[in-house]
Amino acid sequence: MFSLILFPFILHADSEIDAANRAYTYGSYDESARLFQQIIATRGYSAPLCFDLANAEARAGHTGAAILNYERARYLAPADRDIDHNLQLARKQAGLEPNSYRWWQIALRSIDWTVWLGIMAACLLLIFLAVIGTAYAPALAAASGMPLPLLKTIFKAILFAGIPLCLLMGYVELSTIGFNDRIEGVVVAPKEATLRLSPFDSADSIGTIPEGELATVEDRHNDYLRIEARDHHFGWVRRTDLEPVIAGSFDVQPR
Amino acid sequence: MKLLPQLVAFLALTTTSGLAAATLTQQIDPAEAHVGDQVIVTISVQNGSIDNLQMPQVDGLQIAGTRSATNITFSNGSLSRATAFTFALVPARPGDFTIPAFDIHTHEGDVLHVKAMTLHVLGDVPASTNSAPAPSAPSPAASSAPSTNLPFNPNGPVVMPPTNAAPATATPANGNSAAITTSTAVAAPRDTDGTPAKVFIIITPETTDAYVGQSIPLRIDFYIRMDVNADQNSLPTIKGSDFLMNSFTTRGHARVGLLENEEYGCETWITAISAPKSGDFPLSMVRDTYWIKSITANNNFDPFGGFFSRHANLAHEPITSNQLTMHVHALPTEGQPANFTGAIGQLKVTGEAHPASVAVGEPVALDFTVSGEGNFDYVRCPTLPDSPAWKTYVPSSRTNYRDESHTHAIKTFEQAVIPQKNGIVPLPPASFSYFDPTSKQYVTVPIPLPEITVTGSPPPLASASTGGGTDSTAASATPQPTAELLPNRLELGSLQMSLQPVYRQPWYWAVQGGLIALPLLGALFLLLRSRSAPDHDRAERASRQRSVEQEREAMTEAVHRGDVSAFFLAARHAIQLQLGSQWNLKPEALTLGEIRRRDACLAGTLEPLFTQADEVIYSGRTGPDLDLAQWERHARELLQLQTVGS
Repeated sequence: MFSLILFPFILHADSEIDAANRAYTYGSYDESARLFQQIIATRGYSAPLCFDLANAEARAGHTGAAILNYERARYLAPADRDIDHNLQLARKQAGLEPNSYRWWQIALRSIDWTVWLGIMAACLLLIFLAVIGTAYAPALAAASGMPLPLLKTIFKAILFAGIPLCLLMGYVELSTIGFNDRIEGVVVAPKEATLRLSPFDSADSIGTIPEGELATVEDRHNDYLRIEARDHHFGWVRRTDLEPVIAGSFDVQPR
Repeated sequence: MKLLPQLVAFLALTTTSGLAAATLTQQIDPAEAHVGDQVIVTISVQNGSIDNLQMPQVDGLQIAGTRSATNITFSNGSLSRATAFTFALVPARPGDFTIPAFDIHTHEGDVLHVKAMTLHVLGDVPASTNSAPAPSAPSPAASSAPSTNLPFNPNGPVVMPPTNAAPATATPANGNSAAITTSTAVAAPRDTDGTPAKVFIIITPETTDAYVGQSIPLRIDFYIRMDVNADQNSLPTIKGSDFLMNSFTTRGHARVGLLENEEYGCETWITAISAPKSGDFPLSMVRDTYWIKSITANNNFDPFGGFFSRHANLAHEPITSNQLTMHVHALPTEGQPANFTGAIGQLKVTGEAHPASVAVGEPVALDFTVSGEGNFDYVRCPTLPDSPAWKTYVPSSRTNYRDESHTHAIKTFEQAVIPQKNGIVPLPPASFSYFDPTSKQYVTVPIPLPEITVTGSPPPLASASTGGGTDSTAASATPQPTAELLPNRLELGSLQMSLQPVYRQPWYWAVQGGLIALPLLGALFLLLRSRSAPDHDRAERASRQRSVEQEREAMTEAVHRGDVSAFFLAARHAIQLQLGSQWNLKPEALTLGEIRRRDACLAGTLEPLFTQADEVIYSGRTGPDLDLAQWERHARELLQLQTVGS
């Protein structure tokens, strides 16, 4: 019944994807990119959709937009080798250095955060039971026939091992969901973005960053973002020259 | 208000000398001059007090003027004082002159040694020579020359502007005239009443002769007499729209100094200007300035009114600087290189490539560095000619300015190039062009780049896109290497409406909080239980103790009555109560067998009593040899033993 209700929507989505892929196949890359953007706007993000959009942008010659969407696809599917392959190819074509994830980053990001949450929840439950059990240790010992000192040792072991394990799992979980990550953006300005000394149009230029380069956002001021590019290269760029990898993250105050 | 700066100055004068040892610097500028030229000898004493300084007389060198100025600065939490004595010398004949060494004695007792200075004097000044005007005594004749290049030292002493135009015309309505005198050795312009102006601005460009787009360093000195000093809330701006000025990169350098025995606060900015079009243009600056017109007391009856209730009445008006005429020339079109991008200055260019060996398709990084003095906004990456052997990419750049005016800098460019064929492939010949305003000609600098060893085979030609799409970006506009892109995914994938990380959702933190609360609740429960447990145990212990005591009394009464059955019943129950309390068991559950299972030794001790009790209670047999008094003692000993044991 549920499938029957959803069927028209699924059919509609599939037809939209078909149209976007057809445009891509026939070489209408701008049109293909527009259709993929439309699907994402209405149905949401997914790794395959971002990947397809990035392919269309790359074929259309929009290096910055292509790298941006490859980065988004990689964010959603960190272990996907195809995404990384196309991303590195796009970066190479833009004259940028490769930025593949290292094995441990892939391992960390590939495991869903709920796994770590589950382990942490189990640890916390054990700690809870150990704490309660400590209160009723004599009764439990009498009921189970287990010597009281042994029972108390078991409870203590659970507490001493469970608390650090819990903290570790919490840290890993936060790392997996990107709590420690800094806000990143990709230069989408055609060819290059001008880096300025201060956040004003009249400020002196202190350099340029090529299109497609990944930069970390440090601060913002009106229509300008203070960024750190490679080699601790700091400066202000116009907000419109940079698109966030995680859509909407520029609206959040950087930590 | 008025007392404060004086107090600061007094403190500075009285305390600085004790903070650091006196030091001395000396300078003769220029070291070579013509007869009749002014030569400036500057002797500066830091952290030392000197009233007067006499220059030794040298035959053939006439002392044309002398002035002294004291600067007191408060920097990094410490005060420092510097007194500069400036002597304008005019050589009367050619030859080599030596100003002999001499000593200076400070009030603090320090002896500073001034070294001998030599001066080479040539013959009369040739007609075409531009004599550099002395900082404190610019020559009207010299400054009116069309190509005057003034000495520019951003950190040097206060200098008078070049007076290539009429004296500054700014004459505010309040009489705060900024009419700048051109007399020698006078730094402050005069008010209409002849006294030094309260407020004035002096601008000093590095040159008044420039080219369109050239960055000209400019020094701006804003002076305000300390007795009228007030907080300012604006910055100097250029009058008119003939020039563009760089934004001030730092706050003005503030200091307090003496000019003509008047104490002035001085704020100095170093910046640069450029002209967008050619012609002769007036250059002057203006600043909206607040100054203290008068001070009134708010309450004349207040005994502290003179100190705490003083009110400064401020005047506000735009103060205009001295006006100069800038001669701006158009860049010559003849001989302009094709790759000229508007860079003007004296520049050095270097380039290097790395690595020296790559595979086909791998990038080679080209690093270009342009350094020197010039308009770095117009400095672009050195150009590489098109070459089928190399694919070039958009360079990134980075500028490190070396001074406040942003005219001295090191600009670096990083550009990636990718070889398209193998073998020993020379990099395209890079070059950089700029205009040198000194030699007034274009300069093209070839940048030698090494040959790169390229291994591997060239990439196969990408196949053209299929289909006949009307998209303008299809086919020809598509970069060829994108043919290596892996194909599209056809599935929709797992959709999510937002890429926002889960930790931005409130429910995530609610779940985390709930989990963390679990052990905390357990700990809270334990805490509450531990607080209530002692009372519970005490009550239970007291109850059991009362029961044991009751059984003891029952034993004694039974002995008195000679009731054997009652005695053994009470004795056994008393022992069961006591043991039950120790082992946390019900007394009735403590049979001899149970006691033996837990403590065999104790069971052996208790066995006679328990056996006798069973025999008396269940069989009713009471033998004549039963000595109840002895059994009572035995029972009490057992109870005592258990109490001690527990």
